[in-house]
This record gives sequence, C-alpha cells and structure tokens, in this order.
Amino acid sequence: MPIDKLNIKKLYALSSENKRFCFPQPLKHSIRIGKREYEVKLKADDKYGTYVLWKNRKYPVEIIRSRQNKYEILFNDISYTFTVETPFSMRRMKMLSSTRGKVEKEVLRAPMPGKIIDVMVREGSTVLRGEPLLILEAMKMQNEIQSPVNGKVIKVLAKANTNVLKDDILVEIKVE
Amino acid sequence: MKIKRILIANRGEIAVRIIKTAHRMNIETVAIRTAVEPDAMFHSLADIVYDDTEDISEIPVFLNIEKLIEIALKTKSDAVHPGYGFLAENAYFAQKCIENNIVFIGPSPDALYKMGNKTIARRIALAAKIPMAIGSDGNIGDEEEAVTVAEKIGYPVIIKAASGGGGRGMRIVRKSEEMEKMFIIASKEAEKAFNDPSVFIEKYIENPKHIEFQILGDTKGNIIHLGERECSIQRKHQKLLEEAPSMALNNNLRKKMGKIAVQIASAVNYYSAGTVEFLLDSEKNFYFMEMNTRIQVEHPVTEVITGIDLIEQQIRIANGEMLKFRQEEIKFKGWAIECRINAEDVQAGFAPDPGKIEKLSLPTESCVRVDTGVQAGSSIIASFDSLIAKLIIKGKDRKDAIRNCKMALDKVWIKGTKTTLPFFRMLVRNPKFLDGSFTTAFIEKDLDKFYLNSEYEEMLAAWLATKLFVEENLSSNSINVDFENGKKLSPWLLNKRINQF
Repeated sequence: MPIDKLNIKKLYALSSENKRFCFPQPLKHSIRIGKREYEVKLKADDKYGTYVLWKNRKYPVEIIRSRQNKYEILFNDISYTFTVETPFSMRRMKMLSSTRGKVEKEVLRAPMPGKIIDVMVREGSTVLRGEPLLILEAMKMQNEIQSPVNGKVIKVLAKANTNVLKDDILVEIKVE
Repeated sequence: MKIKRILIANRGEIAVRIIKTAHRMNIETVAIRTAVEPDAMFHSLADIVYDDTEDISEIPVFLNIEKLIEIALKTKSDAVHPGYGFLAENAYFAQKCIENNIVFIGPSPDALYKMGNKTIARRIALAAKIPMAIGSDGNIGDEEEAVTVAEKIGYPVIIKAASGGGGRGMRIVRKSEEMEKMFIIASKEAEKAFNDPSVFIEKYIENPKHIEFQILGDTKGNIIHLGERECSIQRKHQKLLEEAPSMALNNNLRKKMGKIAVQIASAVNYYSAGTVEFLLDSEKNFYFMEMNTRIQVEHPVTEVITGIDLIEQQIRIANGEMLKFRQEEIKFKGWAIECRINAEDVQAGFAPDPGKIEKLSLPTESCVRVDTGVQAGSSIIASFDSLIAKLIIKGKDRKDAIRNCKMALDKVWIKGTKTTLPFFRMLVRNPKFLDGSFTTAFIEKDLDKFYLNSEYEEMLAAWLATKLFVEENLSSNSINVDFENGKKLSPWLLNKRINQF
C-alpha cells in the first residue's frame, strides 16, 4: 500500500484492547502529559541492549514480532500488540468493520516446545472461551491450553504423546 | 573433615550454591558437563568438571543412578550432594551411594522411602498423633470405595497420589457425582507421572496458608527446627514467593508447630536438612501435609533470618558431626523474602519462555542476596526448570523487606526471555499481600491481573510501535538510534526473535 508521506499529520497506535494512542507526524522525541512535554529517547548499549529512557529511568524494550503495520513490543517485561494506522487507514478500517460481518478462524499454536499429554477436544466439538483444549507439558510443567474464543473446533492437529515445536498449529477453531 | 570432594548431582543455581559453601569449607567439588548444557556458570566454579557430553540419551545424567555412581567413583568423590529435584528424594540412589562407600548428603534411605510414600507418611504421622486432615486409612482400591470414603469424610475432599508431589495426580472433588470420574483421572495421572496409580483421599482444607518448618537433625538423634517459611504465594502448587517468618504465626503457634515438626522428623529418625509442610486454616488449626526430605529452593530465607548456612549443616551432618546448636539457641532476626525470577510469560498464564539471556544485570545492594546459575549469554533451556535467579531480600521487619523488595525488582534487568518480574512488581503493591491475609488460593482467586504496568508504559510502547512504523514506511533513513560507544548496529537485530505474525 503506497502511503502519501506528505499528507499524514498524525498516526494512531491501536492496542489489542482497542485503546487508541495518537502521535503527531513527524514523530517527536517527546510526549505530552497534561501541560508538560517529556523527552523520550530510544537508546542502546552493550550492557543493557536496547532501552527507552523516560523521566530518568531506563526501560528494557524489544520488538518481539513485526509484520506490516502490526507490532508486538516488549516494554519493561510486558508485551503489547499495536497496529499503527494512518488517518486514512483508520477510516477505511472503520468502514470495513461496519460492512463486513465477523467470521473468523482462531488458529492456536504451541506457545512453547513440549509434549502433548492429552487432547480433550475433537473436530466438531463446540467449545467455550476458557475451556481446556489440551495439555502441553514443557519444562516439568503441565500447561492447560484453553480456548481463547467461543466456537467450533474445525481441525485438531495435536496428537497425544507427540512432541511439538514452538508455533506448531495445534487446533483451529471457527469463532461463533 | 572426612569429606574431601563432593560430586554435585545437579545443575543450575543450586549447584552454584553448593560449590560456594563447599569452597568456604575447603572441600573440592565435581560438576558434570552435559551435552544439552555444555557451558554453564557452575562448571566454571567447580574444581573438577566431568565431561559427559558424549552421552546423548534422553534421560538426563542427573536422573541416571548407575552413571552418577560411576562418575563419583571415577572422580574419587567421597560424597554426593543431590541438590533438589532429580534424585534428591530417591531412596534407591541414597542406598546405592552408601553401598559404594560414597556419603549421600541427605537423610537415610529409610527416611527417604517412608516420607516419599505419602500413604506410609500418613500412617506414621497418625501413629505419632500428628494433627492431620482426616482421610482414608490407606490407598483407595476402586471408584466405589472412593465414593464411600469421601461420603464418610465429607465433601470437599482431595484425591492425592501416594507417590506424588508437585500437584500432579491431585484432584479436588466437591460433589459425590464427580467422584467416580475424578478418581479415575487422578489415578491415571498418578500412574503416568509416578509409575504408581495408587491414590488416597483427604478432607480438602479450603483456602489454607502453606506454612513449612525447616528441620535440622544429626545422626546422633538431635533434631531442631529453624522456624517457618510462608509459602502461600503459589500457582498450581509451584511456589513463587516465600518469606520468613510468617505474619500468620505468633510465638506460641510457632513453638507448637515447630514441636510437632520435630516430632514427625523424629518418627523416621531423620537426619540432614528437611522440611515439614503444614496447611494452616483461618482458625489457625494446622494439618501435616508432607515432609520434603531435601534442601529446598526457598532455603535462603531461613538462612537469612537465622544466620545458619543450611548447606554447610548438611555437609557437617553427613560428615558425622553433631549439631552445634540447641533449639533455645536458635534466634530469628529480621525478615526475608524470596522472589523466584523465572523465564515465564506471566501474560500467557505463566507459560515457560525458554531462550537465551542476552543481557543480565542484578542488584548489588547489601540488602539483596542473589542466588543464580546464569549469566549474560546463558540459555534457559526447555529440558530443565525455568529458574533464572532467586532474589532474597532482607529487611529489619516485613515493611522494610517489602520496601527493599520494590527497589530490588526495579534493579533487575533481563533481556532475552520474558520473566516473572512484572508479577512481583504487582504483588508487592497488592493490599492482600501487604496485610498478610493471602492464602494458597490468592493467585487463582484474588487476582484479576497478574502483572503491573502503568498507563505511561503502555503509551511509551505505543510510541515505540509508531516510531518503528514511521521508520519502516515513512522515512528514507534506516532505523535511527542513538548508540553509545559509537556502535553501528540496529537494535532490532540484537534480538533474534523478530518473528512474523
């Protein structure tokens, strides 16, 4: 998507919980809180790696994932996912979401390498949000993988007593 | 000292911990180098490193009894320290050491066996008139018996694996309709995890505190306790924060519980360091749960308030020495809190997050003791536990310790994996934690958010995402970072984890 660089006056970062943060473009190295502007710096050195300096404090930062306009940022050990939108793409997004119904597929991937201990659902099972789908054992801990959505299981790729790698697809659920 | 050289049948921070005390006592140490972890901190500290990198079997050497005995003999070690986990509570391993004239730094095989089997331990405690949750006389034969026994005890009840530990094979049952199903699940789980399907049933104590007592006994029959540890902050039976002493105990209750803890240890002629675990209910009734026959992860908080080095005591007792102190000489001073900094993703239900520790900086203040087995460049690998470091924070009282704890948590800098730091930053500000009213149900029931962040942090992260977007899409220059030391390196490339969604 070509972006008209000249016409963009501001940018929005939308969090996964739909919180909206607006920044002027060109982006300043300071952020306004109330009436004051506070300087924010992105720095890096050998001892700390990359960090943000804000009000005399260092915060560790990392980019965990990035694709197109979607970014997962680790900030002070907590991860946040944002999509960055221009005023134009914001308008387009709003239009699309109002005209198109939401039919979505939720693809569950292994959050870590490990061994599948038990699979509690089969293709066609109706699941509720929070319902345990399978048990993945990693680092001595049994982890219950729960359904993030209400829906119907359309594919089960995980098999009990097999090993999986990180990001292997385990279950696909049609969101209902 | 008879013991001149100790083989450490363990790894990580506990290996480092044992080496430190051994060196202070002028005892040599032998560490084992494995293929999955060929270069760890404890290797660089040990006097002798036995190379076992040729061994590529799936079972770690730390669980291989024959192999460990062979290594001990080859390296002329006259003692073995098992640390915690692995074979630390394995009676057969202890027996094999003794048969080969190697000192096992721990209790007798007999004590390991009796306390390791929960049904036998229950029977011994019952005979010694130790307060316990009412329960079945022994293992339960089948579903029918389970229903009858549970009916007699009264719901809710808990099904536990006889050979169990760490929460596996445990099921809480609240209604008799659920009993049959739960009994089968628990028994199956127990068989899978411990090769033993036997389970027993106990009355389930609702919302208790987990209070444990540190025990020390010598081979001459002297047994004392070193006070309690409060370990109620746990998730799925995995402890996260421990402190000593506990706010829930006054001197009277401490004396009473301590006396009972010593009684249980005496019932199996216990020697070495051990821990007696109790559940304490809201009416301050306490119930014996189990005895851990090893050094525990959380032992440092007891060391801090008593001034006694527990590893040193284990070695001295194994060496045949008598305890140097009597019960009345044990004095408690100050307050200690331990935070387990694990490589776990708090936002993903504490899922392990193995990876390479790219940067590591730990507090150096005198009020903080750090026990760790890693340094920058080390990896937290999926084959072992996810512990990065234990922060043990001291204070003159609890308030002081918590204040120091907040400071210490902000001084930890770890890059490369997600950690439990955001959880602790939240915890030390939680009113229930501060007033001491938390129970073992705290994490599961009382928290709606497992981590701390301020609105500014989210906003700053949003700023960063926007900056990245601008530099990728709107600017002709590449990423522009102010690098000190004149380094020309993109910060985003420092991390190997630039994944695609």
